[in-house]
Amino acid sequence: MVLTTSCAPQGSTSQGREISSLYDIFLWIAAGVFLVTAGLIAWSIIRYRAKPGDDDLPEQFHQNLKLEVTWFAIPQILVVVLFVLSAFALNEVNEESPEPDAVVDVTGFQWGWRFTYDGSGKEVVGTPQEPAKVLVPVGNVSFVLTSADVVHSFYVPDFLIKRDAVPGRDTRIDVNVDAGVYDGVCAEFCGLLHARMPFTIEAVSQEAFQQWLQEPPEGVARGDG
Amino acid sequence: MATAEPAIVAGAHEPRGVAGWLTTVDHKRIGILYVVTAVGFFIISGLLSLLMRAELAQPGLQVVNESTYNQLFTMHGTGMMFLFATPLVAGLANYFVPLHVGAPDVAFPRLNALTYWLYVLGGVVVFSGFLTASGAAAFGWTGYAPLSEATYSPGAGVDLWIIGLILVGTSSILGAVNLMATIFGMRAPGMTMFRLPIFTWNIIVTLTLIMFSFPVLTAALAALFIDRNLGGGFFDPTQGGDPILWQHLFWFFGHPEVYIVILPFFGVITEIIPVFSRKPLFGYRGFVFATLLIGAYSFSVWAHHMFTTGSVNNPFFSAMTMLIAVPTGVKFFSWIATMWRGKLTFPTPMLFAMGFLFMFLIGGITGIFVASPPIDYAVHDTYYVVAHMHYVLFGGTVFASFAAFYYWIPKMSGRMMGERLGKLHFWLMLIGFNLTFFPMHQMGLNGMQRRVADYPAESGLEVLNAVSTAGSGIVALSIAVFLFNLFVSMKRGASAGDDPWQANTLEWATSSPPPHHNFKRLPPIRSERPVFDARHTGPADG
Ligand code: HEM
Ligand SMILES: [Cu+2]
Ligand SMILES: [Cu+2]
Repeated sequence: MVLTTSCAPQGSTSQGREISSLYDIFLWIAAGVFLVTAGLIAWSIIRYRAKPGDDDLPEQFHQNLKLEVTWFAIPQILVVVLFVLSAFALNEVNEESPEPDAVVDVTGFQWGWRFTYDGSGKEVVGTPQEPAKVLVPVGNVSFVLTSADVVHSFYVPDFLIKRDAVPGRDTRIDVNVDAGVYDGVCAEFCGLLHARMPFTIEAVSQEAFQQWLQEPPEGVARGDG
Repeated sequence: MATAEPAIVAGAHEPRGVAGWLTTVDHKRIGILYVVTAVGFFIISGLLSLLMRAELAQPGLQVVNESTYNQLFTMHGTGMMFLFATPLVAGLANYFVPLHVGAPDVAFPRLNALTYWLYVLGGVVVFSGFLTASGAAAFGWTGYAPLSEATYSPGAGVDLWIIGLILVGTSSILGAVNLMATIFGMRAPGMTMFRLPIFTWNIIVTLTLIMFSFPVLTAALAALFIDRNLGGGFFDPTQGGDPILWQHLFWFFGHPEVYIVILPFFGVITEIIPVFSRKPLFGYRGFVFATLLIGAYSFSVWAHHMFTTGSVNNPFFSAMTMLIAVPTGVKFFSWIATMWRGKLTFPTPMLFAMGFLFMFLIGGITGIFVASPPIDYAVHDTYYVVAHMHYVLFGGTVFASFAAFYYWIPKMSGRMMGERLGKLHFWLMLIGFNLTFFPMHQMGLNGMQRRVADYPAESGLEVLNAVSTAGSGIVALSIAVFLFNLFVSMKRGASAGDDPWQANTLEWATSSPPPHHNFKRLPPIRSERPVFDARHTGPADG
């Protein structure tokens, strides 16, 4: 049963792949824990079912300190292992690239996203009717997020990462993106049209990206590069 | 103080009929009022969720528009958490804690009536938002600022939501004080702390959590009210306020809240399993210790709901959250060891307890996943979390609630519930529940975010959503079976007698339902199983 949740997407960023493989490790351990625990419960249900007509009391045992210490210790060790694995992955995923290939400023608003590019004057604004389509170069991209009104959350499912866009402060995610076209959404509920804040990010070569940056603004940008 | 009569001999001469119920200060009647009202809110909030599931059955908007959908999930979450689960705890505790400790009533019977009526008033005020021109609150049960500020959510519905929740919260706090005084001040002779039924031990920890967490919620709600109506600016960044502060305050309450609505049900399960295994609980003291540890840890994990804000110490909150799984694991092993080499029977209460074990296990395991910040970056605010939380809240709290109902309704009413219908109810609910919520894991992994009325077609989400909606229909059917069973059993059910289950704890040492002031005579209390001891008349411990 638990295994059917294993279809986590692979991730189109190195950070996403990191998360995906962490997920798989968790899943294997979880499957083990589930099978052992559920197995013991199922065994008790089947094996220790009362026989009809048998009215004698079973043996009344109350405790066993050694056993109890053991079953405290084993999960304790297990969660320390899981914590350490996850802490290493967290470091990798959170690492900010010192020299990103592009820095994209993203502002969430009710209900759309505005993308601007450091020092180029390029600006793309999406609306529910016409969602934003923007380009980024393949490689290290930093998204610096904020909000013009309420809390939003910048979420690209294929990246396996989201980060909140909070009014009054900047948050940031750094990803190493593969070439491809990725759909994004708003993940933090932000009011009436929360479901209508999609956007599209296309990761292309640095040349194609630079060329796109130079293009004169023409309302909503063409997304095909 | 161990006494046979409460300080106030209140309610000894209550009027008959409806007037008697409306003016009662008897803890058993108030307990029943709480339970019935809570189940009423469960049904209302459940109907709201059926509307949501109907809308989500296929892509596009067919049943409701976005504005309505947003009110639906807000009121569904609010109703389930504040008006069903928490008050249900108050109801069960009200009825059974005095019986468990061998007391004639709670410490402050009139205060008890006040807390119930505050809860009813609060619930009505919260739901009256639907009657206002701009509708009910529509920002999720978490009420994140600044979305919940007047600029973005004008309208009286929100103020009613705030005021109603303040009333309900006040009710919870007062109720907690009352029951705490009962447990510490009114235990019968011989009822030492380590002979208390585990249900009552879990209630002690729950009451402590209520007393520490609800005041924080109340303060946060008051600040939000001031922001909205008096220009406070606590959570408004344009006035120097901080939206993240709201999240801290809300979750400092919100995480203990999930333990408030699960610990008592751990208690229920821990009462039921030994009875139907015909063995004592394995590791009583370890179990109490685990409960205390969960209570303590639960105040240090709140920001695991905020991993993606980039404003909190993710490793710390992740570590604490994973640690809390350990005492929970201890409980599982205690339950298993209690069944081990027992003689198990499976009437409906035990069936629901087994359902609880499997379902809560799944919810607990996915809890470890979301406790890992990198994994949470992927699944936070997606349907994965909706799946996780329902395995805990429905697979845990609701399955255990029904275990409690089938186990205790004979005591409360004097009549047995129908077994055949009970089993039908169980299997329908188990199947329907899993069909509804298991596919949501995959929806979340596929990137479907929560709190959306619509999702794109051809996204691979259609089948999963259709299955989920079908499942919710089966859940609804199972609830209908329960209500029918209740109706029939209350009219024609077999008589329960004092102790139909051959149980252990003091509520079974008196008639069903118990008389006014509960006990004519108490058996000697020499272990945590006084009724078992009395039945087997041998030495207290075997
Ligand atoms: C028939 C049973 C139920 C069904 C079909 C159901 C369905 C749902 C669905 C589909 C959502 C997600 C809505 C969205 O994000 O758009 C949801 C949210 C929620 N549910 Fe349930 N649910 C059920 C029972 C329960 C129970 C028993 C509880 C608690 C004891 C509960 C507590 C919640 C909470 C707290 C939320 C979050 C609301 C929010 O996002 O603000 N649900 N439910
Ligand atoms: Cu948004
Ligand atoms: Cu939490």
